[in-house]
Amino acid sequence: MLTLLLIHALAALVILGGRSRLGPRSFLVGALGPVAVLAWAISEAGTITGGTAYEERVSWVPSLNLTIDFKVDSYALAFLLVIAVAGVAIFLYAARYFSGGSRVPPFAATMTIFAAAMVGIVVSNHLLSIFVFWELTTITSYLLIGYDDHKAQARSAALHAALVTGAGGLAMLGGFVLLAEAAGSYLISDIVARPPAASAAVTVAWVLILIGAATKSAQFPFHAWLPGAMSAPTPASAFLHSATMVKAGIFLVGRVGSTAAATADWWQPAILTIGFVTMVIGGWRALRQTDLKLLLAFGTVSQLGFLFLLVGAGSAKLVFGGLALLVAHALFKASLFMVVGTIDHEAGTRDIRRLSGLRRAMPGLFWTAVAAAASMAAVPLTYGFAAKEAAFDGLVGKDTLLIAVAAAASILTVVYTGRFLIGAFGPHQLGEEPAGAAAHDPRNALLWSPLVLAGGGITLGFIPGLAADLVDSATAAVTGVAAAGKLVLWPGLVPALGWSALSLTLGVVMVTLPHRVDAAVAAVGTFAAKLPTAEGAYRRSLPALLTFADRSSGVLQNGSLPAYLGIIVLAAAALPASAIFADLPALDRPPGGSALEWVLGAVIVGAAVSLVFVRRRFAAVILLGGVGYGIAGLYAVLGGPDLSLTQLLVETLAIALFAFVLRHLPATFTAPVTARTPRLLVALVVGAFAFAGGLIAYTFRGGRAVAETYLAEAVPEAAGSNVVNVILVDFRAFDTLGEITVLVAATLGVAGLAVPALRLLRRAR
Amino acid sequence: MTPLRRSPILEAGVVVVSGPLLVFSLYLLFAGHNQPGGGFAGGLVAGIALLLAWVAGGSETVGRVVPIRAGAFLGVGLTLAAVAGFASLAGGLGFLESGFVEFSVPGVGKVKLVSALAFDGGVYLVIIGMALGLIRVLGEDETLDAEATS
Repeated sequence: MLTLLLIHALAALVILGGRSRLGPRSFLVGALGPVAVLAWAISEAGTITGGTAYEERVSWVPSLNLTIDFKVDSYALAFLLVIAVAGVAIFLYAARYFSGGSRVPPFAATMTIFAAAMVGIVVSNHLLSIFVFWELTTITSYLLIGYDDHKAQARSAALHAALVTGAGGLAMLGGFVLLAEAAGSYLISDIVARPPAASAAVTVAWVLILIGAATKSAQFPFHAWLPGAMSAPTPASAFLHSATMVKAGIFLVGRVGSTAAATADWWQPAILTIGFVTMVIGGWRALRQTDLKLLLAFGTVSQLGFLFLLVGAGSAKLVFGGLALLVAHALFKASLFMVVGTIDHEAGTRDIRRLSGLRRAMPGLFWTAVAAAASMAAVPLTYGFAAKEAAFDGLVGKDTLLIAVAAAASILTVVYTGRFLIGAFGPHQLGEEPAGAAAHDPRNALLWSPLVLAGGGITLGFIPGLAADLVDSATAAVTGVAAAGKLVLWPGLVPALGWSALSLTLGVVMVTLPHRVDAAVAAVGTFAAKLPTAEGAYRRSLPALLTFADRSSGVLQNGSLPAYLGIIVLAAAALPASAIFADLPALDRPPGGSALEWVLGAVIVGAAVSLVFVRRRFAAVILLGGVGYGIAGLYAVLGGPDLSLTQLLVETLAIALFAFVLRHLPATFTAPVTARTPRLLVALVVGAFAFAGGLIAYTFRGGRAVAETYLAEAVPEAAGSNVVNVILVDFRAFDTLGEITVLVAATLGVAGLAVPALRLLRRAR
Repeated sequence: MTPLRRSPILEAGVVVVSGPLLVFSLYLLFAGHNQPGGGFAGGLVAGIALLLAWVAGGSETVGRVVPIRAGAFLGVGLTLAAVAGFASLAGGLGFLESGFVEFSVPGVGKVKLVSALAFDGGVYLVIIGMALGLIRVLGEDETLDAEATS
């Protein structure tokens, strides 16, 4: 599994390395990722659907007890297959969609990393690693949506998506931590096996997780980012909004849904409400779009609402229907997005008021769109129909209101599906300039990719058994209930069929009366325009967020070096002090020092005391150096040649670097009067702690010193007899890595600050 | 501020001293696992050698001694250290846990190679990069604009 993720990373690196030579073919390299995932998923499918989950554990930093845990059960496998199949089709499509340009390879690399992050989410068993991959999709989707970065609209849409899903991700992280603390484990398999007892913390955890999932899956009231994200190039939209990013939230609610529903009785009503509201709003808004892609986007919002409530509600029958529909949705929605991309590519527009004559010009694409749309509208004999039947069947047993709302949303689905087909392939509107005369069917992946996915929807419709086993075993994996639903070509005369027939008939009737529908939509639309919208809420909250960020960073990051230093040293003193002095051990008498130690001590104290009184900068630096050299001497006397050497070298270099800076500063300095008392206090507190802490460390001999372990293990474990170095490069090497990273950052920071500052100084001279 | 006056004697002295200093810094790096030293101390010694070069002839001389940008040292060093960590991981050890091989080289004797040396080498390069970067940026005088924009 780690290998699969590394293949993605490697493909992305190859793309970036060979960017100028690869061009749009970068996507073919990127396709290696999804292809590898697909191959793996197919080869393991038999074992996993048989009930044996694939598990892999990589020990990452054993000293911090960090591991990477992968677990692929049937539920994860279903998502993996969806991601991989859509991924392969879309990557091949994208290789034809883009014609060239220097920014295409980085885009392809980003999309490959995105695909890896998505795989990471569904195969992780550890909550924190889900979070990491989750945020990786947020970051990469920001880059994908904002591809046209010269357009203000694309930038703000990318920001919108990143802020909403990023904030949701943070909420989710909070929820994860609370949940894991309550359950005693970060492993999802543990939490599901032994759910935490209900408590206030667990309730908050579920709320936060629900918020995270709802933002990612564009649920009401966070759905507004998804239509905006349509400014991404079409292959990215097809990938993000059919099979991947928006499915992450659904994956999460499905994964924890049964557990949540069992421990929180509000979970199911909440999920159902959110889902149904999203479903109706999305379907409604789709009726008013003239841009094919936006029409699909609102349709996606609607369907996501349905999937969210089905998969998340935690009832086996609903989960079965939801997963069946999820597969269907990935197939037809990816296909339709690609159809729109091809239309845009060939006709130069995707405005349904202008498109004209495409049915004759592009018969192949037309039939592809018909096949995919039929599945979307759940026309019998398609897989979409079989899946929707399974979903309705789950709802029928519940509540008439639920099924009625679902049927109403299905009517809207049929209507906007009709609107899509007629708009794309019918005549143009009077008064608009027609487009698409020169269009023709492409003879490459621009046609094959959507065709294959749409064909898949038809094939599975006739042979639903192909998907039924997977859906059934995936449902069993998260709910524990096998054979929860049926996925069949023809369900027989059951109540669910009645609801399907009703919504399909009413929908078709409305499609045949487009003018009446448009008039009604417009009439309600005028009224609805007065209602607050999610977009409006976002637009209004953005300035507030910026003001808050501005104010808080003004207070916290006030730019005063003494204030920063004061806070840092106080925290460094107070935190350990509170622990040490709360439980003060009995101390031995400090051993008396040798004469040499006393002399060195006197030098250090003398230098430090004089330091307080000097006003010349250079003298201060020299005295500071004196303190350092004195300490280096003490190290040498006390038997620490390594520390002594390093201290000596650091002091030397530091004095010289001080001298560089001092050339540009006034020769003397004084502290402002108001700052003296606080600084004195800070110095006294920190000094007292350093003194007391040093004394305690020197004299306390209880417990087992960590030094003994290190001394004992240095040679056998790390083959080094210099323990100081072995600590730095082996036992505590992770710390060292952190420290040198800080050094690099600090050097870059100094360069970034000093170069412009010195230039200003030179100008002033 | 007047630029530092160049002193031929100082420059000649620096040439004599800085070479051995750089060799010494490498010695510290390699000896560090068993003797006092290590990448950190070694890097600092090299940094002091660079500082001497600056004292003798300013940034120009530093540039002649090390005609490499500081950023390259920083980047390569940090990458080397991180890669060393992942290499241990790939070798079945924990992240950054060191492994070692022992073999004998004819004429030299037994040589023990510790994987932590690569990590320490990364530390060494980062420290040199830091010293070089700070000397270049802060020690700049007359050639500031030309250097800063390059």
